[in-house]
Amino acid sequence: MKTELYTPFLDATRQVLQTMLDLSDIAERSAEQFDEGQENLEIAVGMVGDLEGVITYRFPSNTSLNIVQILSGMEMDSVDDFVASAVSEIANIISGTVMTLLSADHLTCDILPPVQGRPDSQKEYTQHTQCCITTSIGDICLDIALNRA
Amino acid sequence: MFWKDKYQLGVALIDREHKELFRRVEAFMKTLRSNQSWEDKVHEVNETLEFMKVYVVEHFSHEEAYQEKIGYPGLQEHKKKHDEMVEFVMEVSDQYKKNGFDQQLMQQFGGRLLAWLVNHVAVEDQRIASYAIEKGVANDEN
Repeated sequence: MKTELYTPFLDATRQVLQTMLDLSDIAERSAEQFDEGQENLEIAVGMVGDLEGVITYRFPSNTSLNIVQILSGMEMDSVDDFVASAVSEIANIISGTVMTLLSADHLTCDILPPVQGRPDSQKEYTQHTQCCITTSIGDICLDIALNRA
Repeated sequence: MFWKDKYQLGVALIDREHKELFRRVEAFMKTLRSNQSWEDKVHEVNETLEFMKVYVVEHFSHEEAYQEKIGYPGLQEHKKKHDEMVEFVMEVSDQYKKNGFDQQLMQQFGGRLLAWLVNHVAVEDQRIASYAIEKGVANDEN
């Protein structure tokens, strides 16, 4: 189910990928179509303020490698510490862009430093949605789990 | 090639320093990612890290002086981002020395630096250029 928060997350992801990676072929895709077969790099970014919760980014390995190759101009052959850290920073930048977009709707939030791995939480969230995209360099999926403070 | 022409702001001093910064970060990444053993490349990694600690601070201060000169309204917010990055570089550098030149920490540092730098120059710094062009002061430093 798409919540009212879906659009700022989609727009922020699109904006960051366009500016940093020169990607223009970014399309929405359903969470069901997201490739679960691949190994994913999962990055959790906590949110505090008017909205509280966590955004979990899932980057399949091929997406992670392609992102870092475009950024660095260097071939990457495995999702190692260097690649994971660069992709974590991308998740951080997307989240920061979301905060800016939310502030236009008078929602004041802040983000916590990105952490690798899926958050271990049984908490219930009133705003829970997924925002998945597909591009020529691979897919990315955001799991958005938030409560209004 | 790591540097892209689209990163140019049109301010000679800043563009020159950005190119130098990208050149150094690229050299740093190539050393970090090379197939040499850590023992063989640690000296070069350390040298580049020490250079960047000095150069980043110097470049940020030049960039902030330019923003002040043209009356850029986002100076304080921009300065905060610079200060956070300098703090991060110093913290990592201290930790790295304490850990006895740990490779994992330096690989993590390199990855974050790469993404941060591209975003900062391609997005944050471009806002300064847009403001300078809009106000007709883009060539004042040239």
